[in-house]
Amino acid sequence: MSFASRIYRRLAQAFPHEFKLVYGTEVLQLGEDVVEQTARRYGAAGLVRLIADIAIRVPLEHLSEMRRDMRYAWRSLIKSPGFALVGILSMGIGMGLTTMVYNSKWQLISRELPAAENARRLVMPEKPVSYYYIEQYRDQKSLFTGVAAFQTGIPFNVTFQGDVNVKPQRIFGQLVSADYFSVLGVPPQRGRMLSAALDKPRDAPVVVVSDRFWRNRLNSSPNAVGQTLRLNGQPATIVGVAPKDFNGALSIYPAELFVPITAPVALAPELANDVLHQRNAREFLAMMCLAPGVTMESAEAALDAVTRHLDEQDPSAPVPADKGRRVTLLLAGTMVPLPRNLKLVVTGFYLALMALIMAIACMNLANMLLARGANRRKELSIRLAVGASRFRLVRQMMTEGILLSLLGGIAGFALAYLISVLNSQFTMPTAVPTERVPTPDWHVAIFVFALAIVCGIGFSLAPALRATKGDMTPGLKQGSALQLPGYMRFGLRNLLMVAQVTGSLMLLLITGFLVLGISQVSSIQTRFDSHAMYLLSIDPVREGYTPEKAQALFEKLPQQLKTVGAVSSVVMAAQAPFSIQDEDAAIQLTAEDSPGASRVRISAIEETVGAGYFAALSEPMLAGREFVELDQRSQADGSQALPAVLNQSAARGFFGNGNAIGKRIRDDKQSYEVVGVVQDLKSGIGMSQSIVYVPLTQRNFARPPADGMTIMVRSDAGTDVLAGIRSQIASMDPNLTIFDARTLSDYLELSRSSERFALNTYGGIGVFGLVLAAIGLAGLTAYAVAQRRKEIGIRIALGARKAQVLRLVLREGTALVSIGTVLGFLGAFAMAKILSSLISVFVESFKVATNDPRLLLGAPLLLAALAMLACYLPARRAAQIDPLRALREE
Amino acid sequence: MTKIDSQAFLPLKTQWFHIMLSLAGGEQHGYGIMQEVLQRTTGKVRLWPATLYGSIKRLIDAELIEESDERPAPELDDARRRYYRLTSLGRRVLDAECERLQELVHAIRVKQSMVTE
Repeated sequence: MSFASRIYRRLAQAFPHEFKLVYGTEVLQLGEDVVEQTARRYGAAGLVRLIADIAIRVPLEHLSEMRRDMRYAWRSLIKSPGFALVGILSMGIGMGLTTMVYNSKWQLISRELPAAENARRLVMPEKPVSYYYIEQYRDQKSLFTGVAAFQTGIPFNVTFQGDVNVKPQRIFGQLVSADYFSVLGVPPQRGRMLSAALDKPRDAPVVVVSDRFWRNRLNSSPNAVGQTLRLNGQPATIVGVAPKDFNGALSIYPAELFVPITAPVALAPELANDVLHQRNAREFLAMMCLAPGVTMESAEAALDAVTRHLDEQDPSAPVPADKGRRVTLLLAGTMVPLPRNLKLVVTGFYLALMALIMAIACMNLANMLLARGANRRKELSIRLAVGASRFRLVRQMMTEGILLSLLGGIAGFALAYLISVLNSQFTMPTAVPTERVPTPDWHVAIFVFALAIVCGIGFSLAPALRATKGDMTPGLKQGSALQLPGYMRFGLRNLLMVAQVTGSLMLLLITGFLVLGISQVSSIQTRFDSHAMYLLSIDPVREGYTPEKAQALFEKLPQQLKTVGAVSSVVMAAQAPFSIQDEDAAIQLTAEDSPGASRVRISAIEETVGAGYFAALSEPMLAGREFVELDQRSQADGSQALPAVLNQSAARGFFGNGNAIGKRIRDDKQSYEVVGVVQDLKSGIGMSQSIVYVPLTQRNFARPPADGMTIMVRSDAGTDVLAGIRSQIASMDPNLTIFDARTLSDYLELSRSSERFALNTYGGIGVFGLVLAAIGLAGLTAYAVAQRRKEIGIRIALGARKAQVLRLVLREGTALVSIGTVLGFLGAFAMAKILSSLISVFVESFKVATNDPRLLLGAPLLLAALAMLACYLPARRAAQIDPLRALREE
Repeated sequence: MTKIDSQAFLPLKTQWFHIMLSLAGGEQHGYGIMQEVLQRTTGKVRLWPATLYGSIKRLIDAELIEESDERPAPELDDARRRYYRLTSLGRRVLDAECERLQELVHAIRVKQSMVTE
């Protein structure tokens, strides 16, 4: 019983201060009065009720106090709308940008594959391997519960049941092994998924469709399962619909169709040449589900040993130049698979960016709250004097901060939503469509909410504590006019100020580097009028052509198209010129006869181009020759060396400044002889990479790449030849679908649109930092001036001139701005160094931009000028203080 | 002061109703209210201390009851305790609630008689 009353007393202490003040003793008293009676009457259960009653009541009382605080805070914000507006805007912009970064980037690397039960245990080797290897991996039962093979970004020409006359649609999907869905742990939404037991070679072809396909293209038909589609002209029965939101592994390239690798070659030309049984055909990605208890490290080590063993058994495998790991496992349970260490780096970068933006916005908030606290010192003193607890006042002020932050969060969410909607209007002209940035959903809303709460609490606590600190009597006696704490050189306020200038300058410089770098690097100049080149694609193999027939068509095509008036040249290539290749597409190439014992190995992009490619682009050969028609007829079966053209970067990478012509290089399938060198052609987004140009061969005609064969038609300037080309192709085969037809200039415009959007975003972030810093500085100086109003009045009364007053006020601001500028400068350079060492995409743009005097001088000057202006405006007001009024104000 | 509509408080929460009913006879302190409710309901309704004072606080905030400065006769007075009484608004609200409940009881009676017949 005494135990119960002890608990009761303890709990009674936990009531909010105001409640305790009025009812505390009585609650205690009553509790003690009834405890005995209760025990007698109801026994232990009664005591439990008694304790439970007070235990529930305590948080309820706190909640109701909080509600009152909220109401109070709301009223006080409404009373000072300027303060509220600036606060909400700055928090809103900060949170909006953070949310945008979170939504577009963070989620790509952190959100798990939807509907995949095994998402946390999925890993995949970085490099594609042959199907034979995957079969061997599958035998490692102690490591993996399953290993599936797949190819992603596979186009299918789809004809829907019933509409025979409509041209087929080009839809992207994946070729998957039958165990794919069971390895991922993806259950069917309708029908069944593929399974090794049911889907055997030479069965009637089947296909699983994604939820998106089912909704958008089959109108969510309940009878979808059992329907027949024609894929590349071949019938295939839909056996199942994948669950909602599941767009395949690596869903950055969303797949709508999942075709088993048991499908006939006519349906999936990717499977031609008996690719499943060729040890060397490294064309499949492996998706592995780790067995319980197996770590990624041990799996990687074991897999490496297996692979090494397999490589040694295979005489035709290339001799690896280094002794390093042959297998690198990636975490595959997210939209973008990443190696562990890179994941840390990328995560770190985005975290740092988000933290920097948020820190600036929050420091602004803290600054404003600090100034506001000082102005309300009198009110606070009175409330403390009449019995409010300090805790209560701190809570009250924090509530205000949290409310501001929450309102800012709402504004921020709206901003992020707007940005993502705008952003979704840009699509990159990549060969395989990429997943768009998702519009913010409830995940993001929770993120914003949590962010708002944390920031609101974190950055209003210190100002609130400071405002209620120490002896309040002077505040009570003299009002807010005279506070002479001297110059608080290292005060919280000055620290905030320096931090803010530093942060803003860092943000401005980093984004400035990016903007300048990207815009300088990405300006592509063609040596001719890019309106005079037309790009179009056809894909005859996926429309039922046999390889032989397709090759005959491609051989005939250039001659035929040249008969169209005003056409000056026709060239074919496996990809559009200046095409966007991400670095993942880079492959390792080895120089076969480089000087010295060690072989030079570089990673480069391979582009497959036809005869006369460089002439059509008006690019002169720096050395040697370019491809001719004869090269197009050679066999790419590894038996003989094919000719190759290097760009300057690749030539330098392999052979230094020596002569490259006649030298040999090889990739994992084929050996090449260098016949020519050209200048670096940038990609659509301005990256220059090492590129090895290899010739189009019969193999490419028989099995064109995902975006079909690109036909480049150069015409005399000013003539639209597209209609002529269309009718010419139609005369050869009226059923052939022409897609992606546009001028080179349109194509380049399109590839830069998202780049331009990125520029605007980065620029926006930089300007945002600048504006926030200015607001913060102005607020701070105004606060300082308000605090020293009386002192300044006395000085003027004693004969100080305006200039002297101005100097007095500006002196402090100038010192802080200078310190912040220096720190910000150093910080930005450090960050640029770190970033470019971590992320190779940034290297080039940082290299260009960190030497640009416009930015190096301009950014600090701009910031300093704005900062000084922000200090000057309140300072001028200080100089105009009427001494009489200032002194009378008591 | 604008006159607050007593209907806005109806129906009253059970605890509120019992506390206000106890105060209908005159001012009373917390312990007294608790005892009275217990006796009146023959032990069916028990106001636990924290709930009691939580409700009292809200009733005061709503201006339905107030602290009384009149103390009972010195020999009955418990100096440590605070006394509460109904405000005029509280009285009106209590009346309105009682009326509402009576109507309810009446309606129930009518129904019952129809069933038993």
